[in-house]
Amino acid sequence: MVENARSINIVASLILLVGIIYILGPLYLTLTTASHSYEFMLQNGLVWSPGDEFFVNIRRIFTETSIPRQMINSLIVALGDAIATCVLSFLSAYAIVYFRTRWAGVVFALILATVILPLDMRFVTTYQVASNVFSPINALLDATGLNDLIAALFGAPFHMEWSILNTHAGLVIPLLAHGMGTFLFRQFFLTLPRDLFKAARMDGAGPIRFLVDILLPLSRSTFASLFVLTFLSGWTQYLWPLVASSTADMQTAVVGLARLVPDEGAVPDYPLIMAGAILVSIVPLSMIALLQRYLVQGLILSEK
Amino acid sequence: MFLGSTMFRHRWLPIFLVAPLAVLVFLFFYAPVFQAFYWSFFLERPFGGGSEYVGWDNFARVLSDPEFWKASGRTVLFMATASSLAVLVPLILAIAADRAVRMSLPARNILVWPKGIAGASIGLVFSFVFNPFVGVLAPLNSLFPGIWNPSFDGFDAYISLIVAHVWGNIPFNFVILLAGLRAIPHTIIQAGAMDGAGPWRRILDVQLPLIMPQLFLTLVLEFTESVTSAFALIDTITKGGPGGATTLLVYKIYLDGFSSYDLSGASTQTAILMVFFILVATLQFVLLGRHINYER
Repeated sequence: MVENARSINIVASLILLVGIIYILGPLYLTLTTASHSYEFMLQNGLVWSPGDEFFVNIRRIFTETSIPRQMINSLIVALGDAIATCVLSFLSAYAIVYFRTRWAGVVFALILATVILPLDMRFVTTYQVASNVFSPINALLDATGLNDLIAALFGAPFHMEWSILNTHAGLVIPLLAHGMGTFLFRQFFLTLPRDLFKAARMDGAGPIRFLVDILLPLSRSTFASLFVLTFLSGWTQYLWPLVASSTADMQTAVVGLARLVPDEGAVPDYPLIMAGAILVSIVPLSMIALLQRYLVQGLILSEK
Repeated sequence: MFLGSTMFRHRWLPIFLVAPLAVLVFLFFYAPVFQAFYWSFFLERPFGGGSEYVGWDNFARVLSDPEFWKASGRTVLFMATASSLAVLVPLILAIAADRAVRMSLPARNILVWPKGIAGASIGLVFSFVFNPFVGVLAPLNSLFPGIWNPSFDGFDAYISLIVAHVWGNIPFNFVILLAGLRAIPHTIIQAGAMDGAGPWRRILDVQLPLIMPQLFLTLVLEFTESVTSAFALIDTITKGGPGGATTLLVYKIYLDGFSSYDLSGASTQTAILMVFFILVATLQFVLLGRHINYER
C-alpha cells in the first residue's frame, strides 16, 4: 500500500521494543544475578553487569540442593502428562466423532465441562480422592446399598484403599482429567473430508485400520501441538505438585525451587535461586525454541 | 455432521475407546467436585476422624467470616484489573507486531518465551527484582525512604503481583490476538484506506471491531486464569501478605485446608468458588452463543 505510515511505524517499533524489554529484562537480571556470589549481592544489590560466579552457583545447585533429582521428576510428570493426554484424547475424540452412538454428545459435553473448573480450584477434594483412589467407588457402593448385598454375599463390604499421593502417578493422573485435548482432536477430525472415510470404508478398512493407517498419520501436527502445550503445562504446574508430594525427592523442580527461599528473616540466597531458575527453565525454553511453530499453532487451535 | 452411513456401527469398541479418559474424568473431576459440595454440609474431622451432618452451618460460618469476604473482594478486584491488563498489553503489542516493521519478527519470537517459564519461577525472579533492599527500586528507596516496600505496603505487593501476572500471560493472548489481526483480509484494510481512513483510524474502526471475537475470548479465558494462576505468584512473591492484603480466595482455601486442616471450611469455600465460576461460564456461554462475529 502506498501510504505514509512513518509515524505509526515508529510508534509500533517503540511499543515492541518496550514489550521485548519487559520480557527480557527480568530474564537478563536472572542471568546476571546468578553469576554473582551471595556476599556480592548483599553488598551491591541488583547488578546489571555479569559476574564470574555463574558456574560456581550452578555447581552449588548440583551439590547442595535436590533440584537435579527434582528435574527428573518434572521430566517424568511433563512427559507422562503429555503422552497420556495425547493418547487418551485421540482415542476418546475418535470414539466421539466416528462412531454412531447415542451417548457421544453427552460424553463429549461431560468431558469438555472439565475446562470450567481447573485443578487449581478443586485441589482440596482432589487431594482427598488421590489419598484413596477407590473412595468414590466405596462411597457409591455404600450409598446405593450395593455394599449390603456384597456384604451378605461375600461376608464383607467392598472397601479398598489405594493412595497415589507422593508418587509419580499421583502427580500425573489428576492432570489428565482435562477436556482440552479431546476438544482439539474433535475439532481436527471434523475438518477432515467425509469422503476420506467413505473411501476407506469402500476399500474395506475397519475401525482399527482406519484409526492406525489413515487418522494417525494425518493427525501428526495436532499431536505435536497438543504434546508441546501439555508438556509445558505439566512442567510449570505448581499448586498440585506442592500438595501432592510430601518429600523433597518427590517434588517437582518448580516446587523445589520455591522451597529454596527461607521462611522468615534473612535475605534469600538469590544467586543460588536464580541459578536454579535458569536450570529449571532450560528444558521448556529449549522446547519452545525448537517447536515454536507447533506451540503457536496449538494456542490458536485451542481457542477455536 | 456425519450421516449415519459415514460412521462406524459398533457397540463395544467406542465405549472401550472413551472409557480410560471417562474413568479419569469421573474419578479426578466429578468425584472431587461432588465431594466439595457434599463436604460443605458436613463437619469433617482431619485425619479421618469421622464426619457429622451440620446442614448449612458451614456456609453460615464461612459467610459470616469477614476474612472470606475480604478474600473474595480481593479476588474479584484481581480478576478485573489483572485480566484486563493481561489482555490490553498483548493487544497493544499485537497491533504493533501486525505492522510490517523490522521489530515485528524478533518480537513475535520473544513474546512467546514466558509460556515456558513456570509462574513460581518468574514469581521468585520478580520477588528479587521488587525486593525493597536489593531490587531495581532500591535506589528509589534511598532517595525517598519507604516509598516502595511490598512487604509492608499492600498496594505495592498488589502491583508486584499484577506485573508478574501480565508478564506470564503475554504469550497466549498475544498469539491469539495477532492471529485474529492477521486473518483480517487485506482488501478490507485497503478499502478503509481508500475511504481516507489513516492507519490510526483503521485500528479503531476496522481492526478492533473485526477481532472482537478473539478479544472477547481472551478476556473470558483470562478470568479463570487470573484466579487460579495467581496462586504460584502469591506463594512466591507475597505469601499472601502483608497482613493478608494479597490473600486471594484460592490462597485462603489452600491455607485453610493444608495449614489449618479445616477441611469443611476449605470445601465450603471451594464450593462457593465453583458456583461462581459455573455462573461465569454460563454467562460466557450465553454471550458467546450470541456470536460477536462480523461477516468477513
